[in-house]
Amino acid sequence: MHKKQSRDLLLFILGGVVLYFLSGMVDELRVYQGASIAVYVIAISSIILLTGYSGQVSLGHGALMAVGAYAAAVARIELQAPIILCFAIAVLAAAIGGALLGAAAARLSGPYLAGTTLALAIGLPSLANQFSVLGGEQGLLFDVGFPPLSLGEEFTQYKWFFWIAALAALISMWAVKNILSSRYGRTWRAIRGNEVAAQLSGINIARSKILAFTISAGIAGLAGALLSMTIGTVSPSAFPLALSFSLLTGAVLSGITTLGGAMIGAVVLVAIPEVADAVANRIGSSERVTTNLPGFLVSALLILTVLFVPNGPVEQHRARKAKKKNYLS
Amino acid sequence: MKAMNRRKLITVSAVIAALSLAVTAVPAQAAEVGVSSREIKLGMTLPMTGTASLGYNKIPGAAKAYFEYLNANGGINGRKVTLVVKDDRYVPTEAVAKTNELILKDKVMALLAPLGTANVKAVAASVNPARRGVPVLFVNTGFSGFADAKKYPTTYTVLPSYIMEAKIMGQYIKDNFEGKKVGLLYQDDDFGSDALAGFKTAGVNFAVKVPYASGSQGAAAAAGWITKFKAAEADVVILFGVSSATSAMLGVAAQLKYAPQWMLGSVGGDATTIKLTGVPAGVLYNAIGFSPVPATTDMKDEYVKLFSDIYAKAVPGSTFDLNVLLGMNSAFMAAQALKAAGQNPTRKSLMAAIDSKGSKFANSALVPLGYSKTSHVGLTGYWVGKYSPTGDLSPIGGSYVTYTTDSGAGAVVKSTYVRPAMPAKGLPN
Repeated sequence: MHKKQSRDLLLFILGGVVLYFLSGMVDELRVYQGASIAVYVIAISSIILLTGYSGQVSLGHGALMAVGAYAAAVARIELQAPIILCFAIAVLAAAIGGALLGAAAARLSGPYLAGTTLALAIGLPSLANQFSVLGGEQGLLFDVGFPPLSLGEEFTQYKWFFWIAALAALISMWAVKNILSSRYGRTWRAIRGNEVAAQLSGINIARSKILAFTISAGIAGLAGALLSMTIGTVSPSAFPLALSFSLLTGAVLSGITTLGGAMIGAVVLVAIPEVADAVANRIGSSERVTTNLPGFLVSALLILTVLFVPNGPVEQHRARKAKKKNYLS
Repeated sequence: MKAMNRRKLITVSAVIAALSLAVTAVPAQAAEVGVSSREIKLGMTLPMTGTASLGYNKIPGAAKAYFEYLNANGGINGRKVTLVVKDDRYVPTEAVAKTNELILKDKVMALLAPLGTANVKAVAASVNPARRGVPVLFVNTGFSGFADAKKYPTTYTVLPSYIMEAKIMGQYIKDNFEGKKVGLLYQDDDFGSDALAGFKTAGVNFAVKVPYASGSQGAAAAAGWITKFKAAEADVVILFGVSSATSAMLGVAAQLKYAPQWMLGSVGGDATTIKLTGVPAGVLYNAIGFSPVPATTDMKDEYVKLFSDIYAKAVPGSTFDLNVLLGMNSAFMAAQALKAAGQNPTRKSLMAAIDSKGSKFANSALVPLGYSKTSHVGLTGYWVGKYSPTGDLSPIGGSYVTYTTDSGAGAVVKSTYVRPAMPAKGLPN
């Protein structure tokens, strides 16, 4: 076990080195998209942790991201907190929000839980309009500052965003992976498998569920703060209901129970609009097609995934490999 | 073997070094980004899908219709003007992503008429067109902050600000409804706070002020608002909100037979958008409204005549409304800025042209433009009209009476501005 963990750590560090060199080789647009992918990876992994492992559905992760984003921006503006502290505050604030939500969620399940979190996704972001410290509809600026001069004058803002987001993604993926293979991860899986059986084996269901919600929300909060870093501002309209839905879509595409697949969903979410654009331009179709194609493609992918690879491509591949192995032996 | 590898490494490094030198040694492109010998490329982001797209999604078609007309008539010094449009669904994250694509991938020369305060602000913070030197022409929001040339050095506004509008409404109330009880419905965010600031400057005392949270407007809420206005016995009720708030309010009021003198802000006063929400245009009848550009049904107006002809040919079957007129007007102003930017326009010369000649640009509006070296303020006023039973806004008494003011403490004055004649065929000269 110990050996496996250090191997994982090495893998993550290696991943970081690859990303570091990659960021120097592509143009600014790709670097920006890379930063967006990193943000989505974090957000999707928070959903995978919650839904895939603890079996609780959330349609409101966009709202938890908003909590983190606003906390970070307010800390930055009101307290002039250093950027790393802003992210820590984002995690903490969203985790507290998640704990509160989790306490309610532990009593609910299935459609009731989905409904509760959905209401949160709709209602929470517009709360910002009620408090002037949150900047209303036009939102607050969230400025992480320029990259340090020691990185050179050519070092762009987006590359700086990418570095921060990619580092955060690597660290949080590593953390989530470790949590999932810990006692808590096993507890969650037991609950997801069969609540009664889990309770009989001495697991405190409510406490475990709340803990899952808290951790998941904290990670979502980090994703929210990073998202607002990439767009320089925090505003209610940056966290629409559609964001919560597309995160869930991303998680399903990734394979809801495979953390390693988070990358797939994140890439799809960022790449689809561009692919749709290219397709629409190639066939030279009307504006109506161009504007509706991304939504259509994502929905089609979602339906196809649910129909043909319900556990996600990674899990499917693993299952096929295992089957082959069994067959051969 | 080892020596071999090292030699290989040296060769490869040398080749890479030589290549990168060669790449950097290529002389900088003479022409500006987005400007070739045949084409000038502009980019636009706005909501084309989703609830916020209602009405606004006609703007790209309108702007493109004008540019096609311009291109068919020789373009700008022989260059065609093309417009790349991207859907941002009214989400700042999307607006930033799409603007990045426009600037970094499509390599547009300038951005035209991006829409929404939060979106324009996010783009300014993240994409930072100012640092990249990319002009952001004629933003589609009435938020007064974007006219701050120090904070947004490459951004130009066009719509009169919400503050200007509230000040002018205030003046109109003073002139026409002295002693009457006035009520105000406003959106409880910066849109509304801009309005409140304007009314305060104008010295309007409200009998009742009813705020609503964005997204909460609907028939049920409207019934509640009406109770408050009735309780305060308001004679005049100003609806300073979005179209959905206006239509909810007027729809419910018509059912309840509640009929004070309505006064509608320009944001929520577009009849076609209100009709799209399912409320009959008749509810608008006799309401007072404000607009900087001529009535869209005024076929005696040379701009409205030409623009509606161009639009009818380019987008058959679509109604010529305020969004269309404003979209075409911005395209027409952009064409003049490009023409004034010289034989080989650059981003810099484009902005310099607006700074020095912008206030004289021909356009359909009946109020003056405020551009100068130190100001990025666009239109500076409104005319006052009344809605017909079919929901068309036309000037009270048949002739346009315009007011002009600023976003600060300046007075509201009846404008003496006379719009210059339209350049021949509506092409920049």
